[in-house]
Amino acid sequence: MDTKLEDGAEYSFALEYHGPPITRNLPRAVPINVDRIPVAAVVSPVTLPDKLSLPIVHPLSATEIGKKFSKECKLGSSSELLTVSPTSVISFEPGKNGVGEGSFSKELGLGSETSVSPSSVNNAFEEREPSNGPSSNSNCVMSGELSSDLESSNRDYGANGGNDLGFSSVNHDNSLEMIGGVGSSGALGFSDSFEKSMELSGSLQKRVSSDCKERLDFNESSQPDWDSSESVMSMDYPSSRVSSCKFGDGKNESSRDVRRASLVRFCDIESDDEDTDKEFSRAEPEVVIAKREPAVKVRKGACYRCLKGSRFTEKEVCIVCDAKYCSSCVLRAMGSMPEGRKCITCLGFPIDESKRGNLGKCSRLLKRLLNDLEIQQIMKAEKLCEVNQLPPEYICVNGRSLYHEELIMLQSCPNPPKKLKPGNYWYDKVSGLWGKEGNKPSQIISPHLNVGGPIKADASNGNTQVYINGREITKVELRMLKLAGVQCAGNPHFWVNEDGSYQEEGQKNTKGYIWGKAGTKLLCAVLSLPAPSKSSSPCGEQVNSVISRSFPDYFEHRAIQKLLLIGYSGSGTSTIFKQAKILYKDIAFSEDERDHIKLLIQTNVYSYIGILLEGREHFEEECLNILRKTSSSDDTELTGCDEGNVEKTPYSICPRLKSFSDWLLKIMASGALEVIFPAATREYAPLVEELCSNSAFRATYNRRSELKTLPSIASYFLERAVDILKPDYKPSDLDILYAEGVTSSNGLSCVDFSFPEPAHDDDVDSEDPHDSLLRFQLIRLQTKGFAENCKWLEMFEDVRLVIFCVSLSDYNQYVNDSDGSSVNKMVLSKKLFESVVTHPTFDQIDFLLLLNKFDLFEEMIEQVPLSQCDWFDDFHPVISRNRSNNSNRNNINNNPSLGQLAFHYTAVKFKKLYSELTGRKLYVSLVKGLEPNSVDAALKYSREILNWDEEKNNFNSSEYSVYSMDANSFSN
Amino acid sequence: MSVAELKERHMAATETVNVLRDKLKQKRLLLLDTDVAGYARSQGKTPVTFGPTDLVCCRTLQGHTGKVYSLDWTPERNRIVSASQDGRLIVWNALTSQKTHAIKLPCAWVMTCAFSPSGQSVACGGLDSVCSIFNLNSQTDRDGNLPVTRMLSGHKGYVSSCQYVPDEDSHLVTSSGDQTCVLWDITTGLRTSVFGGEFQSGHTADVLSISINGSNSRMFVSGSCDSTARLWDMRVASRAVRTFHGHEGDVNSVKFFPDGNRFGTGSADGTCRLFDIRTGHQLQVYYQPHGDNDVPPVISIAFSISGRLLFAGYTNGDCYVWDTLLAKMVLNLGSLHNSHDARISCLGLSADGSALCTGSWDTNLKIWAFGGHRRVI
Repeated sequence: MDTKLEDGAEYSFALEYHGPPITRNLPRAVPINVDRIPVAAVVSPVTLPDKLSLPIVHPLSATEIGKKFSKECKLGSSSELLTVSPTSVISFEPGKNGVGEGSFSKELGLGSETSVSPSSVNNAFEEREPSNGPSSNSNCVMSGELSSDLESSNRDYGANGGNDLGFSSVNHDNSLEMIGGVGSSGALGFSDSFEKSMELSGSLQKRVSSDCKERLDFNESSQPDWDSSESVMSMDYPSSRVSSCKFGDGKNESSRDVRRASLVRFCDIESDDEDTDKEFSRAEPEVVIAKREPAVKVRKGACYRCLKGSRFTEKEVCIVCDAKYCSSCVLRAMGSMPEGRKCITCLGFPIDESKRGNLGKCSRLLKRLLNDLEIQQIMKAEKLCEVNQLPPEYICVNGRSLYHEELIMLQSCPNPPKKLKPGNYWYDKVSGLWGKEGNKPSQIISPHLNVGGPIKADASNGNTQVYINGREITKVELRMLKLAGVQCAGNPHFWVNEDGSYQEEGQKNTKGYIWGKAGTKLLCAVLSLPAPSKSSSPCGEQVNSVISRSFPDYFEHRAIQKLLLIGYSGSGTSTIFKQAKILYKDIAFSEDERDHIKLLIQTNVYSYIGILLEGREHFEEECLNILRKTSSSDDTELTGCDEGNVEKTPYSICPRLKSFSDWLLKIMASGALEVIFPAATREYAPLVEELCSNSAFRATYNRRSELKTLPSIASYFLERAVDILKPDYKPSDLDILYAEGVTSSNGLSCVDFSFPEPAHDDDVDSEDPHDSLLRFQLIRLQTKGFAENCKWLEMFEDVRLVIFCVSLSDYNQYVNDSDGSSVNKMVLSKKLFESVVTHPTFDQIDFLLLLNKFDLFEEMIEQVPLSQCDWFDDFHPVISRNRSNNSNRNNINNNPSLGQLAFHYTAVKFKKLYSELTGRKLYVSLVKGLEPNSVDAALKYSREILNWDEEKNNFNSSEYSVYSMDANSFSN
Repeated sequence: MSVAELKERHMAATETVNVLRDKLKQKRLLLLDTDVAGYARSQGKTPVTFGPTDLVCCRTLQGHTGKVYSLDWTPERNRIVSASQDGRLIVWNALTSQKTHAIKLPCAWVMTCAFSPSGQSVACGGLDSVCSIFNLNSQTDRDGNLPVTRMLSGHKGYVSSCQYVPDEDSHLVTSSGDQTCVLWDITTGLRTSVFGGEFQSGHTADVLSISINGSNSRMFVSGSCDSTARLWDMRVASRAVRTFHGHEGDVNSVKFFPDGNRFGTGSADGTCRLFDIRTGHQLQVYYQPHGDNDVPPVISIAFSISGRLLFAGYTNGDCYVWDTLLAKMVLNLGSLHNSHDARISCLGLSADGSALCTGSWDTNLKIWAFGGHRRVI
């Protein structure tokens, strides 16, 4: 106790208080005035002098307080002595003492005889115990503890005495912790008084303190203490609420005294705490640091939240505002630390650059409070979260501050600069030499990074007149060069590559390798010059390929542009998706995927065969019926020789194949095709081979257009059925493209890609570094789930563009809906389009309409008029005129084909529909899903749309039309 | 010809079913002479009252960067797993409000998550139609990501909800957009039984939510877009034990009442209802009329441990606390001081009932608990 008293006397404000009672106004007042001039200035001078003169005397002697202040019971005497810093409490009570005891104690409401005696506090606890549903457990324990304490202890001691008892029972073994504990109770007193809620002070203390001790051994205690520990934010709430109602019944003359006293004492502390936080975080870091420092000095190492503790108390520091918190406050001041060790109020603000070195380095204090996993997460968040990253404008390379993308490139290169701090650097792009401006090179990083400006001759402030890659080198470097055996006579200008090979400027032949000799590296180490590490193999070519590099999470998250690809089933979204995979991925499909797809294709082929066989039966029956009809005259004869003379039709097959066919159909009907077939392929392949050469089968195949269930794509596979069903079949990309069901097994599939850079990539790069880092994610959704009020479409609110796919050939296709009536697929597509476009999630998102299967459409339109679909019934006039012309000169270039006319008509239809629904412009593009170039163009068009979206603000409306025209023509 | 005939017969049968259903409804109405609230009122019960400090936010779990869609508590040790649109599962220590695991998911569109009874693993499911299991004790890979321990694939639609069978780490029930619920054996990764689908008396639309009976873990209830809730026995996959009609919109959330004889539903028609599983009766409707015609759908519900309180989150950002006995809205969490800034999308009571956790579209989770000081004298 004694030593602590000394500590307190040394470091805390208490010294200031009891030393010069009257002058004490001055030191305290200065910080106040900065932040809160009106309140502090007006109130304090009046009340302080007389009132405070008393209190300051009192706290000095513990026994005296015990007697005198027993009524107030604000703080146990022991705690007052233990921690001198809670001046707030001490000064407070004297104030009351001086003015009017009765009214004050009423105001305080805790432990005073007049209004709420300890027993009433007790009551309050008990009362809440039965009434609360959720949190009875811990309450029970606490109130029990409390009441017993209260009973056993002197009634005059009141709540706080009990509190201290409770405390010491937990923490008696460690005096250091004791300080923390007491400190926390002091904090409560402080915050209470600040909020003028005397009512709760005792009980709050109780809660907080119990919280403190539980926090210390959190991991062992499974007892929840929700009630006891509100977060910082919520803390204010109940207390302030209660205080307000308290004021209602207890506003006596004395209340203003209390308020004044508290204002003087606590407002300044609290306010300058908060206000500086705010100011600080908004100001420039450098300025802030300067601002922050004095505040720290004033408080001399006390916890910023509870104001307890001394310089020796272990504390955690906010990496933004430098606020320090003791172990009992840190978790509440910093919350769940989503950005590492920051006060909750500092979230989202950049960190103090001087603390960058400490990022991710955990303190002992946290290690004691939290378990390993928690610490790991905090440190990870601290290091990797976006706000904590080095601001790119602080890094200046070759006289130019970096852009965000450049910094990312710099940090994610194979050989990044170590311990990058804000400052000016020079970077030799050819050799990879890197150093602080005006200094010798400090490191060799990856060469050829496109960061910063061109290197300056005086970058390293050399005066040797020997140049390396246009930089005048320093004396140390020159010495190294000389020792390495490089001829430096005549002030040569060297050209040094990243592998150390050097040549003189203007000459072609390599003169040698600087780091070629074994001794050179040792020499470099002696001269503290950098030498290339072994791992830095010449990899200059790869640096620019974006895909191979990994970026930090947050950056990836930001840079990815999400494209949502949807369309009615059969509109070809899966083909486009697969096409994108094949186009932009190095390995479009992994071996596993290919194996899976192979089985899928084989199963599909079996099912196609099954459909054909079914058709065959149908045709056979048909033929037989005809036969029967024709031969109805000799009916008797037919039935007579039924056994031996089976009717022959073009569709009859031999019994062996027949049995296979029956079996296949049976399996198909039972829906077990996927289960049985891939495994049985080897066994049945010969049969299929036989089947394929069978004339009946071929006859059926020739009538395949009559089989509605057979997809048009089937012929692609059936032509090669024998090859495909061989066990060693490897699906080609084209096969995969054609295959059904590759992506539809899941409701959602997505692929990340970036557009490969064009051949003249250097020019583009230098013009727009952002572009090379653009990455896209194509998300394909199955439309089955698009019910009326789709629950999960809102998950896609962050997509940049919705690509809606419509198959042009749908106008001539029908599906049976649930009622059994057949509906035109184009109409269904339109319905889906309407529901998606009007979905609230997409009300700010651009739409790109892809009109797919144009190749099929062109063929079809010649046979079936577009007006087949009700929606397109007013296409008649255009058709009638063009059709007569077109049939004659179909191939004449300057006249658009019927298909193109119909496409434009359809596009306009959709555009009109879209603008009716949203009032915006619909982007439309024509696609042939099976042609890679066409899909590539469409996806590049979508990139154009996104670019345009970003640049929209820079253009005026007249340019708008020009731009969009360009884009349209580009898409064609 | 035969098709038309069949169609006709189908129509007739449907008609019959509808008539019978109406009859049943009438009969039920006849049999129900009162509802819970009416009876409670006649018994002189008064609704629970909430003081300003009775339910306070005592923790804010910050760390997600996207909307939080789902959360679940462990039975013990007070940990929470939450799933967010940022493609991460985060396991929280609710007491310290710190993260213990942040799991990056292969598919970012996650809709549901669940803690295993032992607290050793978490499950999640979403638009990828797969339910993924992560063992929290497994080694992280090079990038610090937890690898998927097992993928439960077989659903043909998104996985809308998943819950472990109480006290069994190896069994899990999922519900899906393919109109089925599935009981999984996690150790083998195979489906043990499929509820609904081809079978009769299954749901006829996406299943959105499930809840397993706490007192009889063989029974579970599912809520679906076909505006019904169905009760299933895990041992009898072929048909639902009972179908509960009543809602006029999608049943977004179902939750068993703590005693296991009732369950609550939250629906897109803006009501919560209480059903009795033994009689099949609808016991009570919880509906707060709004001034305008806007009826905010209920997204998520949770019962307090005693069942007296029903917490219900609505799309307009409200989160009502209902007195289940008197059908009176006693508190709106959404309007409280320092509540969420956006829609509360998921709710969960801790196993001991001492705290409520809410997850919101504002990317935060908050833990609410009794604040103490019921009445100040």
